Order: sequence, then structure tokens, then C-alpha cells
Amino acid sequence: MKPAIVILLSLPLMFNRAKPETALGDSGLAGMREIPAGRYRPFFRSVNESAIVKVKSFYMDVHAVTNAEFLQFVRANPQWARSKVARLFADENYLRQWAGDFEPGTQTPSNSPVTNVSWFAAAAYAKWKGKRLPTEAEWEYAAAAAPEGMQRNTRLTAIILGWYDHPTPTILPPVCSTYRNGFGLFDMHGLIWEWVADFNATVTRQDGQDGAAKRFSCAASSLGAADKEDYAAFMRYAFRGSLQASYTVASLGFRCARDNNH
Amino acid sequence: MMIPAFLLLSCHPRVATMPDSCCPGHPVTAAPDEPAVASNSIYQLDGRWTDENNRLVALQSLKGRVQLVAMIYTYCGYTCPRIIADMKAIRNNLPAGVRDQVGCVLVTLDPERDTPAQLREFAREQGLDSHWELLRGSAAQVRELSMVLNIQYANAGNGNISHSAGITVLDREGRIVRSLQGTGVAGTEVVAEVGRIAVP
Repeated sequence: MKPAIVILLSLPLMFNRAKPETALGDSGLAGMREIPAGRYRPFFRSVNESAIVKVKSFYMDVHAVTNAEFLQFVRANPQWARSKVARLFADENYLRQWAGDFEPGTQTPSNSPVTNVSWFAAAAYAKWKGKRLPTEAEWEYAAAAAPEGMQRNTRLTAIILGWYDHPTPTILPPVCSTYRNGFGLFDMHGLIWEWVADFNATVTRQDGQDGAAKRFSCAASSLGAADKEDYAAFMRYAFRGSLQASYTVASLGFRCARDNNH
Repeated sequence: MMIPAFLLLSCHPRVATMPDSCCPGHPVTAAPDEPAVASNSIYQLDGRWTDENNRLVALQSLKGRVQLVAMIYTYCGYTCPRIIADMKAIRNNLPAGVRDQVGCVLVTLDPERDTPAQLREFAREQGLDSHWELLRGSAAQVRELSMVLNIQYANAGNGNISHSAGITVLDREGRIVRSLQGTGVAGTEVVAEVGRIAVP
């Protein structure tokens, strides 16, 4: 009898540990969730690369950065206003859906995710907040968690592909309007695409243009897909591979992450 | 200390519009006593790099000459030596008077192993003279520069780094004039173009 009682008593403690709360005391972590350490299987990997990548525990924003939040950043850092931004850091469509430099306007509700922002702008926002962009491994790992209450016979991939099938609406819905996943994060799929810190880490281009270079290209550059059936993951990697850091896209926004030093 | 490295990731310049007759209305870095930098110049990236002689240098110090820039690592067995061979070929095929107006910059993708001493040894092995600058930065600086130069790379483990091959041609202001992708790119057309922009 005794061992059973001990186990029962320790159960609530275990649950407590497994369920971090949003209000984490430190105000810098408000609106973030602690994501436990785990493993992630990259869709593409090099021949020499391990099939499994370990991801350390980190914090992730519960939802994507909104127009209202980005407006605060632009007000505090006017060099990132639409008419002022350096061309090196954002293309000509940067924040094009906004009505003006400091005016999101009627097409961009304050609580909808900000899009048409370059990687440089997203990274600068994150730095301003004392945060950073999540790595591709962190983002993919966090996004792989199933929606809360998902039916047993449903596959996350099917849900994602259903979203990919639909064109981006002119007026984006507000954040937290799709589903919350097992890590407590909203809209990881289903609302917008999101920048990651190292989106250029998938080497898609040939090393050489001539035949010899192709024959001898580094083994490290040869890529293999982990699961060729995962068309949704393929779409994300292909999309990232098509980006450059100054590009802006109407369906591409971001959320921030932070190290977990505990 | 992972946080500082990542926070550096988004270093961007303080940009302000300066009423400057040379570039009216264009955003330029407003640092005092420093010459203005064009809105599309990569010399807007701030931060200090360490060169092969262990000196701290800013990218801005490359200003004033045409630069051929590549991201490489010294332990690379095949692609990187070919990139460097292309850079040498472009430079060597320029007329003697023009050659001095063109510098070459190698930025390591492997700051962990490519210490200044390793870079210096590599420069010696490769016969790189004083017209070559070898630079090492933090992981975040390297990632940011790769974004500007549109180079893809990832640490593949086992000491290998997967990376796209390319040489970026910068004009005297640090603006990207041409991105040469792949290897075997030192054709006469490229040499002629570099020569054209190098002559003041």
C-alpha cells in the first residue's frame, strides 16, 4: 500500500512542474510561455547531420506580434518607419498595408498580426523588446505540438494543409483566433507565416554552376528529407528558402523568443 | 552566455535623415565624425570584427575601394579554396593600375575554430597579401552579414558547414553591385565590370 500512496501524493507536484503559467513574475516574460526542452526532427538535413536535433528549453511569445505592438516599436525607433527605413533592411513593400508611417489604418486591425515586415525589422523589434527571433529548430519544435483537444483521428498536417489551401485574407483575423497548441501557443499554423532567426540555414542552392563543382560539391551540402510525405513541412522550408532578409510578404509576420537560463 | 550573442543578432544602425548636399533626403548613419553611408550600403551594419592580425575593425573601414567579399571557413575542403581561387583570378586579371583599387575580404563562417592565428596561417598558406582582409565576428554578426550578402549556411556537425558559394562585389560605398553565385565565376565579363567600377 505504501508505495501507491507516495505516488498519488506526488502527482499534483508533477502536474505543477509540467504546466508553467503565463504570468511568470518577471515582466519581460509576460505574454510568453516556457517551452520545455525536447527533440525535433528537421525536415531537411545534411548527410552528416543527426536526424534528431535537441532543442533547449526557451520562452516563446504566446501570439505573433500585432500591428499595435509594432506601432509602439516604430514610434520609439522612427528609423523603422515606412518612409525612413534603409533600403538595405526592407524592400519597398515594407508595411505597405499601413495607412501611414505611424498609422496602421482600417485595413490592419490593431490586434491582427503585423506583416510585410522584413527579417531585419523583425530582429530589430525583438532586440528592442530584449528578446530574439526563435531559431528554425525552436519554431518547428514549438509548432509541432497538436492543437488542444484535437480529435484522435486528425493529423496536424491535414489541418495545416487545409490552411495553406486558402488565400491570405485582405484583412487578417486577430491573433489568438485559430487554435492553441499543447505548449499554450496560439496560431502556430493557420494565421500567418513567421520569420525565424536562421531562415537561411537550409542550403538550397548548388555550390557550383559548372559540372565539376556539382560532381564534387561538399558532402555536407547534400540534403535529404526526413519524411517525404510531410508536404506541409516541405512548403515551409521551400518558402523560407525563397526568402531574403529584406523581403516583405503580406502573409509573413513573426513572434519573439527568449533564452531560458533557469 | 547565449543571450548577448542573440541580442546582437539584430544590430542595426541608428539612421537619421541628414540635410547633406551629397545625398539629399537619404537616410544615413548619424554617427558623428563618420562619413555618411548610403541607404543600401552594407557598411550600415555596425559592430566590430577581428582581423587576422587581431585588430578590431569596422566594416566601414573597407569603404573607399571596391571589395570582393566571400564567406568561407578555413577547414573547408573543397568549395572555399575554389571561391578564393576565383577571387584571386578576378583580381589578377585586372590591369595593374586598377588592381590596387580592389580589395578582397574573407569572412569566416566558423568563428569558433577560425581564430585570428588560424586565419593568419591560412592567409600565409594561400599566399594572400595585404590587399586581403580576413574577418572573424560573433555567431550573430556572421548570421546578420549572411543575410545581407544572401548566403545560406548551417553548421552540419562533424566540423562541416553547409553553405552556398558566392562572391559579392561591393562598390566603393559598400553597395552590392553584383552577387556572383557558385564557383568558376571569374569570367572576362566579371573582370571587366569590377574594373569599370574600381576606377574612380
